[in-house]
Order: sequence, then C-alpha cells, then structure tokens
Amino acid sequence: MTLLIAVADPRADEELVTSARNLAKAAGWVPRAVHVREAGGAELGSADLADLEVVDLEGEAAATLAGFAAKADLQAIAVGLRALPAGKGKRKGNAPGRLGHVAEAMLASGVAPLLLVRPGMRPLTELRRLVVPLEGSPSASGAMKRADDAFCRRGREIVMLHVVTTTTPGESGSLPAPRIVDQEHYEWSAWQEEFTMRFSQCPEGGRHRVAVRVGTPALAIAEEARADGAELVVLSWNGSFADGHGAVVRELLETAPCPLLIIPPEPRAG
Amino acid sequence: MGEDGTRMPRRDDIEKALEREFAVLCFDWDGTAVADRQADAAAVRNRIERLVALGVDIAVVSGTNIRNVDGQLGARPSGEGRLFMFLSRGSEVYVVGPSGPRLLERRQATVEEDEQLTAAAEALRDELTAHGLDIEIVYDRLNRRKVDLIPSWSDPPKAEIAELQRQVNERLAKAGIDGVGACVERARELCHKVGLAHPGITSDIKHIEIGLTDKSDSMRYVNKSLIEGRGRRPQDMIVLGDEFGPIGDSDGSDYLTLIPQLRRSVFVSVGVEPNGVPPRVLHLGGGPDAFLRILHDQLSEREEVAYRSFPEPTRDPAWRFEVKGFDPFREREIETLLTVANGETGTRGALEEGSAVSTPATFVAGVFGDGTGDPAFRQPVCAPDWIGLRLQAWGSVVNLSNGELVEHERVLDMRHAVVYRYWRQRLRSGHMLRVRTARFASLADRQLLALRAEATPEDGGARVIWAGAVGVSHAGGPTKETEFEMLDAGGFIARTRGRNGGGHALAVATRPAPGSPVARMVDQGREVIGGRLEPGDPATIDRFAAIVSARTRVPSGEAARRALERAEQLGYDELLRRHCAAWEERWHDADLMVDGDAGDQEALRFSIYHMISTAHPTKDTVSVGARGLGGMSYFLHVFWDTEVFTLPFYIYTHPQTARTLLAYRFRNLPGAREKSGHMGHKGALYPWESADKGVETTPPYGYGPDGEMVPILSGLMEHHISADVAWGTWEYWKATGDDEFMATMGVEMLLETARFWASRSSIDEDGRYHIRMVVGPDEYHEGVDDNAYTNVLARWNIRKAVESLAWLDSRDSACADELRQRLELDSGEIEAWLLVADLLVDGFDPETKLFEQFAGFYEMDDVPIEKLRPRPMAADVMLGREVTLKAKVVKQADVVMLCHVLSDEYGDDVALANYDYYEPITSHGSSLSPGIHAAVAARLGAVDDAVDDFKMAAAIDLADNMGNAARGLHMATMGGLWQAAVMGFAGLQRRHEALLIDPHLPPAWKRVRVPLWFRGSRAEFDLRRRKGGVEVGILVERAPLRVVLDGTERELEPGKHRLRRRDGAPWEVS
Repeated sequence: MTLLIAVADPRADEELVTSARNLAKAAGWVPRAVHVREAGGAELGSADLADLEVVDLEGEAAATLAGFAAKADLQAIAVGLRALPAGKGKRKGNAPGRLGHVAEAMLASGVAPLLLVRPGMRPLTELRRLVVPLEGSPSASGAMKRADDAFCRRGREIVMLHVVTTTTPGESGSLPAPRIVDQEHYEWSAWQEEFTMRFSQCPEGGRHRVAVRVGTPALAIAEEARADGAELVVLSWNGSFADGHGAVVRELLETAPCPLLIIPPEPRAG
Repeated sequence: MGEDGTRMPRRDDIEKALEREFAVLCFDWDGTAVADRQADAAAVRNRIERLVALGVDIAVVSGTNIRNVDGQLGARPSGEGRLFMFLSRGSEVYVVGPSGPRLLERRQATVEEDEQLTAAAEALRDELTAHGLDIEIVYDRLNRRKVDLIPSWSDPPKAEIAELQRQVNERLAKAGIDGVGACVERARELCHKVGLAHPGITSDIKHIEIGLTDKSDSMRYVNKSLIEGRGRRPQDMIVLGDEFGPIGDSDGSDYLTLIPQLRRSVFVSVGVEPNGVPPRVLHLGGGPDAFLRILHDQLSEREEVAYRSFPEPTRDPAWRFEVKGFDPFREREIETLLTVANGETGTRGALEEGSAVSTPATFVAGVFGDGTGDPAFRQPVCAPDWIGLRLQAWGSVVNLSNGELVEHERVLDMRHAVVYRYWRQRLRSGHMLRVRTARFASLADRQLLALRAEATPEDGGARVIWAGAVGVSHAGGPTKETEFEMLDAGGFIARTRGRNGGGHALAVATRPAPGSPVARMVDQGREVIGGRLEPGDPATIDRFAAIVSARTRVPSGEAARRALERAEQLGYDELLRRHCAAWEERWHDADLMVDGDAGDQEALRFSIYHMISTAHPTKDTVSVGARGLGGMSYFLHVFWDTEVFTLPFYIYTHPQTARTLLAYRFRNLPGAREKSGHMGHKGALYPWESADKGVETTPPYGYGPDGEMVPILSGLMEHHISADVAWGTWEYWKATGDDEFMATMGVEMLLETARFWASRSSIDEDGRYHIRMVVGPDEYHEGVDDNAYTNVLARWNIRKAVESLAWLDSRDSACADELRQRLELDSGEIEAWLLVADLLVDGFDPETKLFEQFAGFYEMDDVPIEKLRPRPMAADVMLGREVTLKAKVVKQADVVMLCHVLSDEYGDDVALANYDYYEPITSHGSSLSPGIHAAVAARLGAVDDAVDDFKMAAAIDLADNMGNAARGLHMATMGGLWQAAVMGFAGLQRRHEALLIDPHLPPAWKRVRVPLWFRGSRAEFDLRRRKGGVEVGILVERAPLRVVLDGTERELEPGKHRLRRRDGAPWEVS
C-alpha cells in the first residue's frame, strides 16, 4: 500500500511532498519517495525529505520512473506539475504541453492513480472533503470506486459532483440527471438516492453528498472544489488527449484549486 | 390353486396390478406403513407429501387415534391431493393440511350407546372370569371397549403375533373356551342382548374390541368421498394392509376393508398372512419396506412428468421482455421493469437470493401510514420480502458472487405475466449449477403470489438445500412494527402495521414441488428443503405467499393463513393455470398487435402489461399510483395521471376497472370537499396527491437538485385536477353508457366539482370571471392567472354538470331531487354557475385560433429553440428556474393537452394552430408530455412528429441509459402511449356517443389490431396499410357500434365490416 512521490528537487517539490504525505495518511498508505537522477547526479537521502524513505534511481527521469512504477505495487504516484507561466492563456491543441514531461509520461502510462500538484494549488493538509466528478456513466465511475476504497471514512465528505450538460452518456447503465422531472420534490431526491447507490459502494460510514451543477464541466468542477473548500478532486480519465479527449482534465490541471488525483481505467481482464 | 379353489395370483400378476397409477392410495397404519409405533416414519412422510403434491389422495385407515398416527407420521402436505385419516376404527375422519390435522367428522356415542358398550364388555368379562380367566376392560376408547384377554402382556409388536396367539389360545383352552373366534361370537351375542343392533366386533388376539364402528365404516366413507364424490372408479384405488387373512380363528384387522362397494379396487397385503389371504387380495408380503416401494413406484412416473412440466415462457419474441446478463448498474431499473403485480400487490423483480445491489420490495395497494421524514406525509407500508430464498449446493451458498456467472437471463412473459429466470453459475468449487425460477402475482386470486424455484447440479452429485428467507423490504416506509410468527413446515406470518394507518398480514410457505426428489428436513436447526441429488436431478420448490390488507388496522394472521392454505391446496400449477387464464381474458380485450415495428410493439405491450397489473377492478379503496406498484417513488400517491392518462385505457378495455377507479374518487369526495372548504371555497377540490384518506397529501416542500429546499405549490394551486376527475367521469359515461354509475356517483362528482369552479372563479372589473393564482399542467409557471387548460375545463365541467343533472331529472326525478336536497343545490345556484361559465376568460383568439396558455404568456421572454434541444429536457435545470419562470418555455402538453382531452369540442383547426405554436417551445420535461403530443400530432396527420414523440415516450421506462425506472414505472407515460396508438395512430376517438375512425398509421406500421369496448359493443379493429390508403376490418360483437366516418355518424350492426380509404378520399364501406 504505497504512495510513491516522484521528487526532483526537495525544495521545489515541497508542496507536492506535503500533499502526498497527507494523502497517504488519509488513505493509510505508506509514502515513499523516488528520485531519478542523471548519471553522476547527487543522490537524495531521507534527511532531505524529513525521514521519508527514498529510492534513488539513475536514468532518464520519465522512462525510468514509469518503468519503476510499472513493476511496483502502487496505490498512487505523486508528481509535481510545472508552475503556470504568468499571464499565459490556455494552450490550444491536444497535448497537455505544460505538464512537464514526467507528468505527461506518467499520465500516459496509466500504471497507477496519479496525484498531480501544481504550484499555487492549495496544498492538501488534512483530507476532510473531496470532490468526485461523475458524468453518470458506469465506465467513468472508476474514480468513485477508488475514492470509496481509499478515502471513505467517518467524518470525511465525498462530494459526488454531477455536471448537467446538453449531452448525456449513451452507455447502458448510465444515470445522468433526469431529463424529465414530473414532481421535483420526489424526482430529485429519488435520483440522488439512486445515483449514490449506483456509483458508490462505501461501507465505512463516510458521508456522501450529491451536488449538481449546470454548465461547462471543468469550470463547474473547479467552482465546486473552490466553493466547498475541497482538498482533493478525484476524477476518471481514459489516458488519452487524442481527438479532443481529456479536455476536462487538461483544463483542470490549470484551474483546479486543489490537488488532482487522476484515476486511469481499470486494466481489462485477460 | 388356493384352498377355496381360486387361482393363486402369480407374482407377475401382482407386479402388473401395481404398475398402474392409482388416484387414491388407502392403507392401514400399524404393520403396513410402519413396523411399530416407535418406527421412524420419515420416509413414509416424504413420499406421502410428494404424492399429495402431485394430486394423489391418501387415506390412512387405522383403529388407533390421531395423536398416535399424526405424531408418528407428521406429514404436512400441500397441493392438489389430500391426506385423510380414518381413525378410531371408523369413528373419526381427519384431513391433514399444511397446518396439521383438522377433524372433519366424529361419530359420538349417545349415553345409551355408551352404557350398552360397557354392559356388553362387562358381560363378556364376567363370563370369561367365571371360567377362571383374569380379564380386564379398557374403557377409555372412543365408541368402543376393549376386553383384554391377556393383561399380563403389554401391547405386543406385530412380529410377536404368533407367540401371542399361541399363548392366548393356550389360556382360553385351559379355561374351556374354543379360541378367540368363540369370544368374538359371544361378544356379538351379548351386544345384541344389550340392544346394540350393529356392533363392530374385532380382535387383535389380545383384545376383543366391541365398538359402534369399525374399518368398514371408514371404507364406506372413503368410497363416498374419495371415489364417488370425486367421480372416480373403485379400480382407481389401491388398498394396502397387512392382515386381510384370518389370524387364528378370527378375521384379520384389515378384512373389514373389503366392503362390497369396493370390490373392483386393488387390495394388496404386505403382511405375513400365515393363513393366506381372501380371494380379492393380492399377497405381496415384505412388510413396510414393500409398502414404501409401492409408494416410490407410484411417485416415480408422476415425478418425471412433473419435472418436465416446469413452466416455460412463450417463445413468441413479441410477448417477451428479455433482460440478458446481470448489470449491477441497471439492476434496480430491471427490478422495477420486471415487477409482477395484480392491483393489490406488486413485487419488484429482485433476485431471489439477493445481491449487493438488490432492493426487493413488495408494495401493497391502499395501505398507508404517516411518514417520519422531512417533510412528513402519507407513505405506503410495504410488506416484508416474500421472494427471498437461500440456496446451498456442494456446501456453499450460491449467489452471483460465488464464482463465475455463466448465463443469466430474465424473461417477462407479458402474455401470462410471469417472470422467468435462467441462471447458470460456476461456483468457486468448480461445480456448475443451473437455476430456474418462475414467479407471478395471481390475477385470478389477487391475495396470492407464487414462485417456483429449481436448482440442478450439472456436473456432479450434490447436496442441494433451499431455505425460505424472511426478508426485509428495501423500500422503507412508515412501518410501525412487524410481528413474525413462524409456522411449522418452514413458513411464517408477518403482520405489519403502519404508523397511524393500515396494515397487512403476509403468510408465506415453501414446499417441495411436485415431482422433485427433495424433502423437508432440518439443517443446522432450520427447516429447509433439500436432498442429495444426482447430476441433472432438479431440486424444485414452490413458495406461496398470501397478503391480506386493511386500510385502518392490521388484519389477523388467520386471514392470511387461510389464503395461504388456499394457495397450497390449489398448488403452483393450478394457481398458474388460473392466473394465465385470467391474463388471457384481459389481453383478449386489451392487446394492441402491431406489425412492422418490434420496438413499438414491445413498448405498447409492456405498457398494457403494467397497466393491467397495477389497477384493481373491484376495490374502490385503491387507485393507480403515478409510479405503479413497482417502486417507492411518488409513494403510490394518486395524481391526475390516473384520470387523464390511464383511465381511457381502462374505459375502452375493461370498463369495470375504470368504474372502480372513478368509484375511488367518489369515495373520496369528503376529502375533496374538506380541501375545498379549507381553502375557502365550496364544492369539491380533489387533492393533487391522494393516498388512502382522499385528503391532500402533497408535501409542502421538497428538495431540489442541489439539496436546496423548494416550496411545492401543486397542492395549493394545481386545481385542474378537479376538472380532470370530472372529465374522466364524463368520458367513462359517454364511452360506456353506464347510466347506473352516472346516477349513483357520476352526477354528484360533476356537480361538486362544478360548484368548486364557480366558487373558485372571481369576477373582475372587466365583467369577466377569472381563475387566478393557479398552476396549469405546465408546472414551470406557478401562480399564473387564467390558465387556459384550467379555465376551459372548469367551464366545461360546469356545463356538463348541469347537463348531467338535467339527464338525471329526465331519468329519475326523485333521485335528482334527493341529490339536490342532499347537496343543498337550488336553481339559483345553478344559474350562477352557468353565468360563471359564460363569462369565464379562456384566452382564446378566434382569429388565430390560439389559446393563450395563461394571462401574459405572450409577453414572456422568447427562448431560442436550439436552447430547448435535445428533448426531453429539464428546462428549468438547464436554463435556470428564474429564466423558465419568465420565458415562453412549456414543460409539458398544456394547451395541446386541452385540445386532446376536448377533441370532440375543438376541431382540428384549433388543435393544429395550437400544436404548431406550442410544440416547438415544449421541452417535454415531464413524462406526461410526449405521449399526448404524439396522439395530437398523429390526429393532425403530422405522423413523423408523432413517431418521434411516441419513441421518446417509449424510452422513458425502457431506455437503458436514463435510469428513470429505478424507483418506479411511469404509468401516465404508458397511458399516453396507449392513447397515442389508439386515438392517434389508429384514429379511434370518441365523438359524443360515437367512435370516430380516422387512422394515421406510422410509416413502419403495416398493421395494427385494436380491440375496444364502446357503449356495450365489443369491436375489434384491424387496420392495415394499403398502397395509397388504409383498410379497416371491424368485427362488431354484442351490440351495434356507432361510428363517425367523414363527419357522418352511422351504425354498424354486429358482424364483420370492411372500410377502405384512399389517401385524400372519403371512406368506402363494404
């Protein structure tokens, strides 16, 4: 049950380490640091990371880290994002570009959930509230399962955020917000109850709250996280920025007020 | 040859005689069925219960009493057969059912007879004692005395009978008496001497028994009740005993069973019979083991037949609603869709063994209690789960989590309303198990529900165990308490009481199914059903449930127990047969057969199936809840959905049900008057939401999508429901001609609702009457003035009330006067109503032919049409509540609805103008909307629009990506679909007291068949698309049918008729 923190520079990655350690604490995972250096580079020691166990590797950072992570039994990997260049708008195109090549490689690898912390985000200190955006389809509900498995505890609130848009998932088993509401006093509470039962199976007594927002998903998610003072956003992503996919993730990497935990798709059986 | 010259039967003869299947098995107990009183009778019990389940009658004929026989046998059979016990040497008759023995008849000696029996016994004793013998008398036997010839022997086992006989004979010989036979003869003489004309004298060697009756009396009863009484022949019965032949010098104890009336029955002795058997008796020997083999042989062929008869759904795909696989995300939707209901109860289609996502629940119509949530309101009191079963095989619990799901399919056979399940699971142990179930809620006997379940090990012998589980309903609700009482034989009774409300008693029992090689047994202290099975052998059980309900109390458990016994006595197969027959009858008058679009066919049959399932044809304390009997959503509350959306289906397919639904409203008139009075009005204002008491049940507030509190104004402002009830009343009357209903209920409802409208309207400075602060069908706009739907129907309501009173005056003036008097209604008030009607604003512009939906609607903000797409759309969510309040956005058919319900008053020109105006700005954010739009569009010939709307409505419950059905069905949508098909596509609409025929079939429909009842006539329409037109075949039965063709009424006499219409041309009649 390990959370691996990819540390490049202990000083620059201080917020990453703090958030990752607190996330590991919230989930009951063991945090370990990994440092990939170029040939001849200086090793990091535990003393550099407040007694955190450090694995030192040598090689090209992204490939070496991805290779190491693929072999390890990890609950999550924490990677720092680059700071946003001041005054720059959103980048066009499919590639995330400004993520940094390590983060990009880890996102692409999909070997484990990825905790992404950007400088300027509110660091995760104590996990009391997390937001899990759900479009209402079974295939995109992996984040909720992970969130329930790892973080559902008494005294912690998981906000199941559904953003209503004009499109609805066509996948069988989907439960988007109702498009027909005969008597709203019954309809919404019934939908919320079913939505919770359908996408959450937490037996630990954690509090779930269904929140509904209307509009652009990324904007709505960031607003919900901000308004609720959430410490973490957990969201599913299929790992591809191709063909316009991943727009929500891409935008949140720049706009989320708190760390993001990106959940890759479950590996297919067989 | 025998000693008397008859041919001794060979063993082959005996085997041949036993090959037959006997309808009645009659046998002696001691020595025949069991070796002695201490013997374990479990094997006998098992076979008897299975035989009874298969319809065989069993008769135990014995000299002993019920305590001894029932205590040893312990059978609790159920099924079509019966177990009788003819005991106490012909003096008592018992029938044994699931709850034990019940005395049917007892011969009770008179005081004089008792004295005579004692006198005869004592006289015999005195004579024997005089010979120096030690003799005792047993007095405490029913109708007999036993003279003990050898008190020094306690009751000897049959095996020692020879020794007993030797000692008794020796003892009698020493006293100079010529054997037991002489004692019997002397006893008979003494009986005659004391005045007993027809004594029963028998001997078991130890005793001389002097009685009023004997086994011949039992056999006469058997002949009368089981042979002649059930139309059987004597040869349909086998009689088994062990003592037909003489023992010593007296007749054996079974000799008396050989009565003349039964000479063609087959008599077989399994006893030793040391002195041979009488000619009519086949001597098999072998004792109780041979007896058991005979029972086994009688079972085996029947069981093979019974196994092969596990019910199967129809193979016609147009009648099957199939759900393949198991999707945990959709499971609760599936449970709703697969609900089996009968208007009295509804059981969700949850898995019998349950799963992490299952929500089993059984809803009971009309039983409500006070909820305790926020806000609190009346909620249905659900029954405990009766379908719950636990299954074990190879020592492990079988469920979807145990191993790998290999196959899983559920089929709702809509024609017969049975849900079938087929499931194959490879267990973690590697073994493969096949499971089938079939459940239904009986339409023939609405208190009863039944489930058959079968588990078959496929690849190895297994011990398979079924256990009935007492489940908790997952529906929640205002249950105050539930008391459980365990029944013997694995059943229970649950009595549930709602808070400040009604209750119900549920009785459940589980039995081995006929033909299944399983038996009741105790496993780890629990009563279960199971056994060791070979591969391919099915372990099959039947589970029966009976629910008896009351609105204000909890019924007794006894009532439920009696209903359960009824189910068990009929047996699963007979219950199913009757249930299927009841459904066949309903479908005969309700089925819409569509050729050309399988999806539309499925949607229509699915809707009709649930509409039939949900309504009760005779119980006026219940109505059709908005979400049916399959889910807790809307809490079984009754809205206008019933009268305006579903009632037409019942009117035209089962008028009795329609009448009962209206009787529910009539019954609840006091609640409607109360609501009206509370709001400062007169007459009857029906509650927006109605439950058991007919009073307003709408909660004052609710919670919106983000958990924010939302005030609910429908209970305060959505008053059009009163006119909707009036409309349903009128529609029923005009379509059925049920004058008796109209005279006793309908006119009063019309008058009281009319009175409300007159009181609700207020005159303004403009000299016109207005109805202010209402909510129309379009609920996006609350607190509006002069909603066209409301006002026009209010005016219509007033005028029809006056018209109906005039009709009553002409039909039965005394009745009309009585009604006027009771309602304190005078002509002045009626004049005032008519003035209101004449001056009521309706928002209609004769130039444009448009109704303004409500005052000021035209001045509201326009919304670009593209913002209302795709539909259906919850526009208030997408655009925001504040925006929709001020915008020309319509939630659901409102003015279009008006044009639909009053289609015989507003012509196509008005309907078309309003449809064109309102259709684009309708978001269909209500499930009530698209079906009605489809009906109107079809009527207007806009068939493509109609098809789109029809499919939109069909998707509300059946689409697999909307999740709408998880908490209940959409009954109004179903009614809307039916109306779209019949009134829209088939174009069959009431015009006054005739039926308009003006079809507009969808392009994909080649043909549709529509059965209808109309004013006493049953008509079957067969509409076919023909090149360049349409052809309609009509079979008219019972009474002439008035139809409207091209604006002209004509009468079709009973018989076959054919109409043809080319596109754009008038009808041709042939």
